[in-house]
Amino acid sequence: MRGLVIGIAGASSDGITAAGESLINAFAQEGYFATLSTNPGTQIRGGDVFCRVRVSTDPVLNSGGLLDLAVVLDWENFSQLSGELSVGPETVVVYDRRSGLTASALPLGGVRPAAAVAVPVAEIAIHAGAPTQARESVVLGLLSAWLRLPQKRVLEALVSRHKAGGDPSPKTYQKAFADAVAYAKEHPLGRAIALDPAAPPEGKRRVADGNEMCARAALFSGCKFFSGYPITPASEIMQYLQREIWKYGGSCLQAEDEIAAAAAVIGASYAGTKAMTATSGPGFSLQTEVLGLASAVELPMVCVNVQRGGPSTGMPTTQEQADLFAATFSSHGDTVRPVLAPTSVADSFDVTVEAFNIAEQYQTPVVVLTDRELAQCKAVLEPIEPSQFRVVDRLEPTKAELKRYARFQITDAGISPISHPGMRGGNYLAAGLEHDEKGAPTASGEIHAQMTRKRLNKLNPLKLRKDLFLFEGDLDAHIGLVSWGNVSGIAREAVRMARAKGVKVKLLVPRLLYPVAETIYEDFFATLRRCVVVEQSHQGQLHRLLRMWTQTPREFMSVSKSGANRITPEEIVRLIQAMEQPATDRFRSHYCDLLNVI
Amino acid sequence: MISADSGNRVGPKSCRCSAKDFGNELKPKWCPGCGDFGVMNALYRALASVGRPPHEIAFVSGIGCSSRIPEYTTAYGFNSLHGRALPIAQGIKMAHPELLVLVAGGDADAFSIGGGHFPHAVRRNPDLTYLVMDNQVMGQSDGQVSPTSAKGAKSRGSTQGSLEAPINPVLYALAYGAHFVAQGIPADLDGLSKLIEEAIRFPGFAFINIQSPCITFGDPDMQVLVQKTRMKKLKTEGHDPADRAAAMELAQASGDVLYTGVFYKNPNPPPSYGSLIASRQRTPALEPSDALA
Repeated sequence: MRGLVIGIAGASSDGITAAGESLINAFAQEGYFATLSTNPGTQIRGGDVFCRVRVSTDPVLNSGGLLDLAVVLDWENFSQLSGELSVGPETVVVYDRRSGLTASALPLGGVRPAAAVAVPVAEIAIHAGAPTQARESVVLGLLSAWLRLPQKRVLEALVSRHKAGGDPSPKTYQKAFADAVAYAKEHPLGRAIALDPAAPPEGKRRVADGNEMCARAALFSGCKFFSGYPITPASEIMQYLQREIWKYGGSCLQAEDEIAAAAAVIGASYAGTKAMTATSGPGFSLQTEVLGLASAVELPMVCVNVQRGGPSTGMPTTQEQADLFAATFSSHGDTVRPVLAPTSVADSFDVTVEAFNIAEQYQTPVVVLTDRELAQCKAVLEPIEPSQFRVVDRLEPTKAELKRYARFQITDAGISPISHPGMRGGNYLAAGLEHDEKGAPTASGEIHAQMTRKRLNKLNPLKLRKDLFLFEGDLDAHIGLVSWGNVSGIAREAVRMARAKGVKVKLLVPRLLYPVAETIYEDFFATLRRCVVVEQSHQGQLHRLLRMWTQTPREFMSVSKSGANRITPEEIVRLIQAMEQPATDRFRSHYCDLLNVI
Repeated sequence: MISADSGNRVGPKSCRCSAKDFGNELKPKWCPGCGDFGVMNALYRALASVGRPPHEIAFVSGIGCSSRIPEYTTAYGFNSLHGRALPIAQGIKMAHPELLVLVAGGDADAFSIGGGHFPHAVRRNPDLTYLVMDNQVMGQSDGQVSPTSAKGAKSRGSTQGSLEAPINPVLYALAYGAHFVAQGIPADLDGLSKLIEEAIRFPGFAFINIQSPCITFGDPDMQVLVQKTRMKKLKTEGHDPADRAAAMELAQASGDVLYTGVFYKNPNPPPSYGSLIASRQRTPALEPSDALA
């Protein structure tokens, strides 16, 4: 699984993200699995540009830790990228020799890489006749030769991208690429960095990011209305749907703010349509009033919150998992709304489909709590088989029920059929005011208690949904981890690495975060003496949520970092090894800084 | 089924409804003498003339005294959030264009908490009819000043009086570029019901500011019994509703002269939002599973 982790950094004109795109597409066609992380836009991040590619013959669970290969075209902002592109003692650093730096003088913060190799990137590009635009081709040529990638594939990806960009003459790119390949062959890297050959892919694999998979899932689920407001890092969901949803007979509204977006969504849902909005923390804060209304009037809606660093404007382009409390609790009143979290780029599709199903079945708003890393990370994905998914539609009243229709009828399951405008006999008032079974506003304490019970109890079956949890490891292990979202991919790899070293350990990954499925956790906890929740928020929000709802193991710890601070599989392996040790004081407190102790 | 393009602009009646078919048995929670009773009755009459059956009507409101109005009709109603009626109504209309969608609320709903939504509804021009029941006071929360209260106006909830200049709803709507802008009063029930009908039939966003006085906290000189004597009908004043500049001139008299009727009605209305959306949608539509292609 380890594969290779390649980082490329440069100035904004160097075509870095384009190089990453070409690489991941070539890897995909060749049968490799890979992920590509890039920074989302120089205008919000300054001049530095990077990409990070992890490639393997197995599905890639996370974008990896230290780099195997760093390609640096520009050192100016490299130190700011230490979170994304960390160089270690095993890293080979390749850099443009126009910087004039000697190998021993590289600004790597005191780290001595395994090798540092200066190459004439700019010179090859100038020689090819395109001093700046061709640097991307040079990098791709060098990597193709050194990593023994099929040059034809990489070149195809490069040329087709330039064609899409309307570039009439691919000759300069082809020449720069060929010259770079020739140079690399004459100057092999001092240290062998190579990939195992990949098996040819079965079926057509796709390269997509989590935002695209959310958007596709919405269309697949039959979503016919989307409304949103531009916000990093969720905008791509709206951008995809404002292009595509019309083809499916739907419509898209770029609203005047996030409140209006969520309000339009609940309106569309009231009109009988599956509808979704997508936002990030600041917009989510605004949308909570509409989410509360959706709970009150029992209308389905899906709200995707692509988490970024917070609070307030926070860190729009970085990863964090600190909106869990907001997603679960940010509504006034006695209410519960389901919160789901995808565990990978691919899972963004599955979880969004599930969100629509739960919303429609239980007549409730559902929050999909994804994160910046999953949303904007591209990955090579296996083809999706539509028949694996069920698509649920809301329960509509029968003709007989419409004769004496009561929209909020108390039923055993708490679910009452929904009519919509246009349906004769289904006329009702949807009111955010507390209401009786027919929808008439009321101030009766008895009815309020009855309706609150209905709205909360109808969600109880969700707590038994084991299929909304992933499990990995040894069933009877005494030590275990819980992790969620993008970080769960890191935990999964760490658990596999630790087990390969003979450690007995298990991992539980909830895709359903709320309501808390007490029995599923407690079954998992039953064999555990020690359990650690690994997540990316200073407070350790899932850890606290589980302490609130479940009987936890006696030693139940939180290991968490604030956003933008990468958690690596190697760190978690060290954590697991420490957890194996006999009891020490460090496991007695819930919140000691375990990662630093280890 | 009426096509999306025709929107609210309904031609032949699709039901033989009378005004009483749009009212229900509920007793409105309004104070006796409230202007909103008149608005409700004018609306029933207008709906009967338009002739869409109640189940084809979605009636959205915000929060406040006047926002209770959907509850007292037999149409589908959505008594939603304070200030959010317009975006909710737009979502309904976009998702289900053949419905007749009405929106109602008070002046605080429209111009205070929901003030940010109003210009965007106007510029999108969806086929909605927006009835604002403007009583210059926040009646449901004990009579505080509202965004249309006159400067210096005192009320039970704002004993020191307003320090702020009032919003001029008609002038706002005209300045934002609305294609149908009118003002009515419940005292002139017949005029108001015709105005509402005309607004519903207008293909696009239609705004009626209704001076609907609050009997409990409102200005005694503005009440239903006296407002009819104060009103000046734009039609009899010789105003040409196709003349937008003249409409803006007349709208400046807000607070001094109580004009009623159509301030502005675009004689050549542009395509409504609904028709633009319909032209963008593909028929036949793709299948959901095509999202996996």
